[in-house]
Amino acid sequence: MAQIKIFGYADKISVKPGDTIQFHVSADGTSTAEAHLVRLIHGDEHPHGPGFIEEEIDCVANGTWQVEKQFTQVGAFLEATDPDRKLALDGSITLCAFIWPTWPDVGHRQCLLGRWDNDRNHGYGLGINPSGRLEFWVGCGNEIDYLQAELPLQKQAWYFVAATFDARSGRATLYQEGVVNRYNSLLSKVAPVEYRSHVSEMFRFRQNNLPDTPFLVAGSRDWHALRGHFVSQLYCGKIDRCGVFDRALAREELDAIRAGGKPPSDGMVAYWDTTKGYTDRGIGDLVIDIGPNQLDAKGYNRPVRAQTGYNWNGRNDCFRLAPHEYGGIEFHADAMIDSNWKATKTLELPETLRSGAYAMRVRGGDGEGLAEEYIVFFVRPRTPTARIALLFSTATYLAYANERFATDGQIVQPMAGQPPTISEVDIEIYENPEFGAGCYDTHADGAGVCYTSYRRPMVNMRPKYRIAAFDLPWNFPADLSILAWLEHKGYEYDVLTDEDVHLEGVAAMAPYACILNSTHPEYHSERMLDAHEDYIAGGGRFICMGANSFCCNVAFRDDEPWIMECRKTGGHWIAWAARPGEYYLATTGQMGGIWTGFQRWGQKLVGNTFAGEGFAHSQPYRRMPDSYDPALAWITEGIEGEIIGDFGLGNGGAAGIEIDCYKLGFGTPPNTKIIASSGGHPDNYIAHDEEGAHAHQGFSGTHNYILRADMVYFEAPNNGAVFATGSIAFGSALPVNGFENNVSQLLSNVVDAFIRPGPLSGSNTTRKSTAGLERVAP
Amino acid sequence: MLPLEYDRSEDRDIIVRDRFDGLRREFLRTLVNPEVIEEHRQLPLGQHSERLERLLIYFRQRPLEQRYAVRAIEPFRRYQVVKLSGRRGVPPRLIDDAIYTSANDARHGLFLRCIRDLLET
Ligand SMILES: [Fe+2]
Repeated sequence: MAQIKIFGYADKISVKPGDTIQFHVSADGTSTAEAHLVRLIHGDEHPHGPGFIEEEIDCVANGTWQVEKQFTQVGAFLEATDPDRKLALDGSITLCAFIWPTWPDVGHRQCLLGRWDNDRNHGYGLGINPSGRLEFWVGCGNEIDYLQAELPLQKQAWYFVAATFDARSGRATLYQEGVVNRYNSLLSKVAPVEYRSHVSEMFRFRQNNLPDTPFLVAGSRDWHALRGHFVSQLYCGKIDRCGVFDRALAREELDAIRAGGKPPSDGMVAYWDTTKGYTDRGIGDLVIDIGPNQLDAKGYNRPVRAQTGYNWNGRNDCFRLAPHEYGGIEFHADAMIDSNWKATKTLELPETLRSGAYAMRVRGGDGEGLAEEYIVFFVRPRTPTARIALLFSTATYLAYANERFATDGQIVQPMAGQPPTISEVDIEIYENPEFGAGCYDTHADGAGVCYTSYRRPMVNMRPKYRIAAFDLPWNFPADLSILAWLEHKGYEYDVLTDEDVHLEGVAAMAPYACILNSTHPEYHSERMLDAHEDYIAGGGRFICMGANSFCCNVAFRDDEPWIMECRKTGGHWIAWAARPGEYYLATTGQMGGIWTGFQRWGQKLVGNTFAGEGFAHSQPYRRMPDSYDPALAWITEGIEGEIIGDFGLGNGGAAGIEIDCYKLGFGTPPNTKIIASSGGHPDNYIAHDEEGAHAHQGFSGTHNYILRADMVYFEAPNNGAVFATGSIAFGSALPVNGFENNVSQLLSNVVDAFIRPGPLSGSNTTRKSTAGLERVAP
Repeated sequence: MLPLEYDRSEDRDIIVRDRFDGLRREFLRTLVNPEVIEEHRQLPLGQHSERLERLLIYFRQRPLEQRYAVRAIEPFRRYQVVKLSGRRGVPPRLIDDAIYTSANDARHGLFLRCIRDLLET
């Protein structure tokens, strides 16, 4: 019997009672599964904590579900909209494109453009053959004629390539010329490399077009008995402007296109101007055909736009400045942003559901190991009632989705100060590209992954999961320790997600007197960051529970909030680096990278941000003199001695893993106090000091006081206030000793004060309130 | 140092890397002693002596296909030591039948394996 495996996802991440949610499940080795709605309370199974806690919830969807194996189309490509089959060309033909292959020697055929059925061998195509050479082919079912270039293509070099075919004579010609300039390719002209190839041959056969074959760019149609039609021969690399003609273009005509001239209208069937339709606010998935038939092509699995084109000359760094130099569309054979599985179950959520973190638990067979799935989603109240909200960092969950860096990341072991601890599900996603990657991974062709989505199973957004690289609950499962603490202390709270804050702005936060965020609030769109700033300035009281806070700039489209774009640039702590000239988010036209690059350091918002990271070992905090200020004594009330948090489920201390510090030069509000601070972290903690931009000996934990978690507090206008822990490990210290410990005590002191109406005790009440800012919390 | 066999790979960087590695290993072998091994057994994670840190930094920097990892069969109960493939999509392979009852024990088993590799080559 085959091993039972269950994986699934929901179409939404944030819902309200009464909303409809769809669950998409794929199963191996079983046709039925037992489903049960659960409310999640604690997700860390560490023996020194309360263990995994869930609460079963009645709902009509509970029971046996019919499940089946579902298939996933991986790989990015374009499909031309061609209802009248204008591209089913039976006679003469020219195909041309600017290309920048990233993996010509992958060893299997890659289709650049064509109307080719790879299963039945019908149609025509221009591609790269298994020996890495440009190839043109036509097929009529039984027979295929091929013509290949004399030499393999160079990787990361711009070429103009074309194939012409004269159907009357049968003459097929390949045209291949490098269009390498000083900036656009890997090599300069000092490298004695041959790019050019021109070959010609008489074909015996003519193409025969099947009626329903799609014209694709970066792939070709295929078929499998269980799956039906799918796309194979996926291409890795960039394609700039490309076209199709119904006659064989002359060499001089091709030379003219290569030189940047307008393509001839005579015989033009389609010409996709990849730079067309750009706006100052971003680029969509539609690639415009400027030919007579308007056969616009639609991107699948989000081909990466806003990439440098064949004529990029290094002067401009953004598609907004010079759209015509940014015609590159980048394709990856393993891109995946939506599993597109059939819905297994649709559920109208009970009206009585309280706000919280929920999951549909789906079990096949004995429900052990891979036979158990938790499809996580968050329920907000229909109308906010609690004074507290717990804000889950769903943008960070998306960034880390299905990361594989324990097995593929060179830097991970030195960074983590330990070998990885790999579990069965890590191996499952490692072997199967269908799960898609996260923004910490690279594509198999070496490029960084810049799109991630929750419309696919996210095995690390589950309770109980431990991240392989660090052997810790990471992000969502760690954040449940904060939720469990709120439950244990009996606070009434609602939950919010990053998605709500992105879509609704400060309005999503305003109803709450106090908001606690997560252990790792790293990724924020501009709108999210603005909402936080307005909430705090408007009188909101904010507890930043984690670290690495407010560091990275990401973007979402309003109509597809399940997909996030992330370009990595700036800082010396990023998983990959965007290529020169490719720093801007195609989604919004804004520069990507870290908020430091915009003069919006996390310190400006919550008083501290990223000092560094090191993972393997955590430290306690020591109280600082500010904690003894009588005006602030309420924060540490009931705490004996100087040491806070010399325990924790996150490597034995409340300060560690990733840590944030105070810095006036990065905009920490001048009235900020440091209540407690850690330090003396091991040397695998390295400072990510954006100010000391030059790395040197002594950057590491035992040598460098900057490597510390600062617990900071400041008052904001309109009775607002911020408390920030500066440590990812803080949340995991809360559950120790049945939630009775000095970290828990301290957090209670802060929450109690923050939800109490009126000014904070010890606050400078004579201070004038800032004009023009509206109070959002009582 | 023995001359390395002539390497025909396209990336000449690997030749230099391996030469450097040879020198580094020669030195690192002189650091191995029973105290270092005992120190690691007692505290696999965290700040270590200079000697042990140098060895650990080296082990963590090996090319991926020469690195080991811990495999959690059952978190907090049963662990094994595996070796990474270094090839994308190819899972780590088991190197022996030893079962460890804590992650730290497995980390130490892995460390002993690295020490053996260092001393034997
Ligand atoms: Fe992070």
